[in-house]
This record gives sequence, C-alpha cells and structure tokens, in this order.
Amino acid sequence: MSAAVGAERPQVVSHVQQALSYTVFDCKWVPRSARLLCLGSAARGTGIVQLYELHGARLELLREIEKPKPIKCGTFGATSLQQRYLATGDFDGNLNIWNLEAPEIPVYSVKGHKEIINSIDGVGGLGIGEGAPEIVTGSRDGTVKVWDPRQNDTPVANMEPVQGESKRDCWTVAFGNAYNQEERVVCAGYDNGDIKLFDLKTMSLRWETNIKNGVCSVEFDRKDINMNKLVATSLEGKFHVFDMRTQHPTKGFASVSEKAQKSTIWQVRHLPQNRDVFMTSGGSGSLHLWKYEYPAQRSRKDSEGCEMGVAGSVSLLQNVTLSTQPISSLDWSPDKKGLCVCGAFDQTVRVLIVTKLNKV
Amino acid sequence: MPVWLREHSWRQTLSAVYLSLPLRGARATPANIFCSEQYLKVSIPPFLFEAILYAPIDDTNSTAKIGNGSIFFTLYKKEPAMWDSLTLANADKEKLQYLRENAVLKAHEKAKEETEAKKVTKQEHKKYALKATMKLEEAERKRIEDLKEKERQKVTKELELWKNQQRDGDKYKSIPKKGELHQEIEPLKERKTEKMNKTQIPKEGTSKTRLKSTKGCHASSCIFSENLKEEQLPAPRAAATIKVNFTPRVFPTALRESRVAEEEEWLHKQAEARRIINSDLSELEDLKEEEKNPDWLKDKGNKMFAMGDYLGAVNAYNLAVRLNNQLPLLYLNRAACHLKLRNLHKAIEDSSKALELLTPAVAENERARVKAHVRRGTAFCQLQLYTEGLQDYEAALKIDPRDKNIEKDAEKIRHLIQGTMQSS
Repeated sequence: MSAAVGAERPQVVSHVQQALSYTVFDCKWVPRSARLLCLGSAARGTGIVQLYELHGARLELLREIEKPKPIKCGTFGATSLQQRYLATGDFDGNLNIWNLEAPEIPVYSVKGHKEIINSIDGVGGLGIGEGAPEIVTGSRDGTVKVWDPRQNDTPVANMEPVQGESKRDCWTVAFGNAYNQEERVVCAGYDNGDIKLFDLKTMSLRWETNIKNGVCSVEFDRKDINMNKLVATSLEGKFHVFDMRTQHPTKGFASVSEKAQKSTIWQVRHLPQNRDVFMTSGGSGSLHLWKYEYPAQRSRKDSEGCEMGVAGSVSLLQNVTLSTQPISSLDWSPDKKGLCVCGAFDQTVRVLIVTKLNKV
Repeated sequence: MPVWLREHSWRQTLSAVYLSLPLRGARATPANIFCSEQYLKVSIPPFLFEAILYAPIDDTNSTAKIGNGSIFFTLYKKEPAMWDSLTLANADKEKLQYLRENAVLKAHEKAKEETEAKKVTKQEHKKYALKATMKLEEAERKRIEDLKEKERQKVTKELELWKNQQRDGDKYKSIPKKGELHQEIEPLKERKTEKMNKTQIPKEGTSKTRLKSTKGCHASSCIFSENLKEEQLPAPRAAATIKVNFTPRVFPTALRESRVAEEEEWLHKQAEARRIINSDLSELEDLKEEEKNPDWLKDKGNKMFAMGDYLGAVNAYNLAVRLNNQLPLLYLNRAACHLKLRNLHKAIEDSSKALELLTPAVAENERARVKAHVRRGTAFCQLQLYTEGLQDYEAALKIDPRDKNIEKDAEKIRHLIQGTMQSS
C-alpha cells in the first residue's frame, strides 16, 4: 500500500482488483461512463476485448469480444462522444475501428503495417480540440502512419525510414499541438532512443533527439493546446520532461530527466484534470506520481541571443508497489479526478483512486 | 606500617553514634571508607583508622560526611542502648582478625546481593519499557489503518455518487441511440428541471453527462453541435510521406544491445597497433621514409596482388609485418598471396595469426574475420584436410549467413567428405 501518511500527500488507494484469464496489453476508460475496456491476447493466440463496469467494489463484465488476432493497443481519441468507437492496433499490423455495440464487423479496417502495431493514439474526437479526427500508429516495421477514418486504405501521412536505412522499431506515438484546425504534431519514440517530432502541417521533421535508451512511452501533457510539455520514458528507469514552448535552432528543447527506479518505465500518463501531474508505471510493478514545477523563467537568451527554454523540476508525490510484474498500461478517467485503471502482466487489472489531488 | 589515626572524638544518643575523625591533611573519598555491621575502617594510605564497634550498627543507613579535613560519621545503632565505649575494649589480635574478615565477607555478600537485586530490577524495567513501546506502536499503526480506511470509504462513496450521475447521464444517451425523436427528461435532483421538446432551443451550460442529439440548434462550441461540427471538419489531409533517418552510430545497435565494452576494446587495440613500431633500425636505415610506413606498404602490397605480382606483394607485406606485427590486415592479405602461390601451410599460418589479432569479435571486424576463415578453409581443402576446411567455412557462415558463395563452397566440401568416407 501507500507510503507514509503525510497529511497532504496524495494517496493511491487500490479500489478493485480483477484477475483476468488473458494477458492484458492495454486498458482504457470509456469516456463519459464508469466503464472500462481491457484489450489483450488470450493464450490461444486470439485477441480479447472485455468491457467492464464499475459496481461498488467490483468490476462486472458486460461484454467480451474475441477477434482473430491479439490486440496490442487501443484508443478512443478520434471518435465523437456519441459514437465512442474504439480504434485498435493488433499484432498483425491491422488498424480497426469498432463499434462496441456491433463488434462483428469493424467500422474501418486497414492493414496498415507489416508488423505489430506497438502504439496508437487518436486526436480530434471526444469534443477535445479541433480539426479532423486522426489516428496515428507506430509499428515494429519502423514506420509511423497517420490515418483519417474517412479515407480508406492509404494513410494521410507516413513517416518511414529512408531507402536503404536499417529500420528501428517504433515503440510509442503521441499526438500534440492540436490547438487549431491546421496545427498538429506527432511525436514518435523508437527502440534505439530516438525521439522524433513530425509537424503534420508542414509535413516535415521538426525536431529529433536521442536519449540513448529505448523510448517506451511519450505523451504530451495536453493534446489540444499549444505544445507545452512532453514526457518521454525509457528503459533503465529514466524519464525526460521536455519543455516544448521554446525551440532553440541547434539545441532543441530543454529537458530535465529523472531516474526513478531500476527497471523500465513502461507508461506515462498525465492527469486529465491537471497537466502538471503525471503517473509513471514501472517494470517492477510500481507506480510513481510526479509533479512538475515550472522554473521562474521559462525561457532565456543564450550567448547568441537565441531564445532557449529552461526546464523546471520534477518532484515525487507518491509511489506505491502494486504487483511484482510490470504494469504495462495505465489510463486516467477523464470524468472523475483521481480514478485510474492499470493493467499489469500478472494478468490483473486494477482500479485505483488517487486522493487529495485537489491539494497538489 | 600505617599511621594510626587516633584523634577521633565521639558522642552518642540512644539511637545513634556520632564520630568525628580528623584526617591530618589527607584527602578522603568514599572509596576509602569501609563499614560493616560491627567494623569500621578508614584507610587513606599511609593513614589508617580502625574500630571494632561496641555493638552492631545499621550500616546501610549510616552516613559519612567528608569535609573540612575530617570525616563525620553518623552511625545508627541496631539496638538503641547506650554504649560504654566506641570500641570493644578487650579485643585480642585473633578476635580482631576474625572480626575483620567476617566484616569483609559480609560486605562482599551484601555487595553481591545488591548487584543481583539491581539486575533483576533492570530486567523488569526493560520488559516494561518494551511493552510500553509495543503498545505505542500498535496504537500508531491502528491510527494509520483507521485513516486509510476512512479515506477508502470516503472515496468509495464519492465514486458511487459519481457513478449514479453517470448512469442517469447514460439513460439520456441511450434515447437518441434507439432513434426516438421525442425526448422526455425526468428532472434530476442535482440539476434544474428542464423540459425539452423539439421546438425549444436547448439551454447551454448543462452538465457534460447529457448527450442529446438536437435538431435545429444554433452553432455553438459545446458538444450539442456535434452534427454541425462534422460539416465544419476539414477534409482529410493530403497524403504525404516524411522520410526519416535514424541516429547513426559507429556501432548500429541501441544501447541495450550494444557490446560497448568489447567494441571499445577493439578500437583501442587498433589504435595501439597503429602506434607500434617494432623496428630493427639498422636494417631499415636505408629505406625511404614512406617505405617505413606499414600502411603504405600494405597499399603497395594490395596493388601488386591486384596486378598478379604475388611475390612482390608478399615482400611488401613481410616488410610491413617487420615494422608492425599487430595489424591483422597484413596477415590476412599475405594469406591471400600465399594461397595464390600455393604456399598452403603459410597461408594457414597467416590466416590463423590474423584471426588471433581479430579478437574481440565485433561487428566492425566481421568482414575481415569472414575472409580469414574462408582463406584458411580454402587452404585446408587444397591440402585435402576437408574436415578442417569445412569447420572454417562453417565459422565463416556463422558470422555472415547471407553469403551464397560460402554456402555453395561449404556444400561442395560436405559432398567431398561424404564421398571420401564412402569410398574409403
């Protein structure tokens, strides 16, 4: 359970724990409801989608859907609030969008990649942000593709390695900077430590850097604002917080990095209600809750008079160890502050409540 | 011989005896005073005062006050009676001795008893302290548990409340899904009552949980205007491709895969090798400057090999080796020359030396190692040592599984071996 009971520190309370009969790779809250989805792979090599509802102190299984291929990731980011279609990426490289009321036939389907889709993100839906709904997928074949559900078969943007270049697995993707209809940015993290920022308005590479260790997860603090902060987590327990407001022509973005635990940090998720609070989940089954503090001056001039960013500092609010296996997926509920769900490789999904976030 | 102190003075009451003993300048500490039931001794070397008391006294309660150059004893009598004198008058030597010893023994016993008693009390105190701390810790723990429980219950309650809100919200959501046009809304406790029919324009600012598809609503930025928004969505983006390069590295492996230590070692070794000049200066004095450079000699050798002048190439390599015997490529190339010259044993030697120098095995020297194995393999086969040759070819294949020529040759050798085995 939680560490010391400081009067003001947020506590992580484990509300419900549900054992599953399959490996869960991703778990997501269904927006505007007390329902959550678990996506994963059964032992017989098929994909499972389970829909649970939170009833008091337990989870009730509402629906179970089985698909031919194991499912790695899913998002609600690109659908409208009424429809709430789920976009999933599976082990075979297929991107599908499902209507959970009628899941036999996907609403949209494309074989987007040659290899497993490691990560998926959606933007433009759920009443958040502006612009066309789009889905981005990152795959082991080294490409990052952006899809529009209104256009079949071909991606609207494709970030692929140059001819002849040996490919690196793309492990994570995230949308950001979608504050108006034209602007949009995709950030991709690769297994060799590369982080690349693609600007979809100019269709160009805007920034890249290398953090030496493979990048497990990237996330902007908000998708729908002028890009503010980006957190990238990697193997060997490190994560970096980049201040994305000021880009220096040569030095790029300022960052602060923190080494949290000995093991891989699998996921980072920002609290939807407070963009300076985020949770990281680790390979040792632990969760850390962090708060970012801005520096006094967010940018300063360097010796040549160019603006460069100043990174702030990160402080640990709370940490808790829930499992012995890595916690591979994490999702905050967009409707209830402090409610989150996490899925771990010990085949359990846990619903947690983080208290006292108002005082943070 | 001690100096006896005899100028003592005493007086008595019914229950106590007061004895004053001037010290003649000596300083006394409590350690110098020894007192038991019937025996009193003050020993400050070289001074000595001794008294066998008339009657027994209560030595635990009696006191001695040291000060002003004298000791003032207050001795409480065991039996209240007036003493005739301070000391027993007729005391012969033996009795004195006996009494002294007795006194000492008694004192010892008492001391022992006292320590025992002290130990026991100490133990009891410890136990008590332990129990008390345990109780305190229990209380603390309970307090923390209670706090946690309270938090949990509070949070569960909040969750239930929120869930109920959601459920009511969902009820409204399901209505348009079923395609019903009229929308009857039950007034919710927490919100203002609102009746809506088709003609009325919905109020803004209602909670997020209400999702109703509306007809004829005016454009607004809230979620009611989802239908309108769809028409305002930009067209799908024009398809484009962005080409990316990945971070180049001397060794194209990510940190987690890299064998950095070995690669560093290899680089280091190469750097070292370059710096070695084992020179026999006397012989080399007549050489030109460039002829003393192993790299230049290697290039010369390569050119001669390309032109077919194998002997010349061998000479060049020999000189280079004499200058610097740590460069594996020299041996490798010399092995190729020897192969062409059919000096098979020398070829084998040189390839082996090259392989030795090509440790540690890293990605950088893959090509070189493959070549070395292939050359050695060829030499073995030409000497009809097919099994050794096959071993080398297989090693080469392991390093570079994609080379078709090596595969073909390995196959050929295998057939040869099987052929000879069958025939012999």
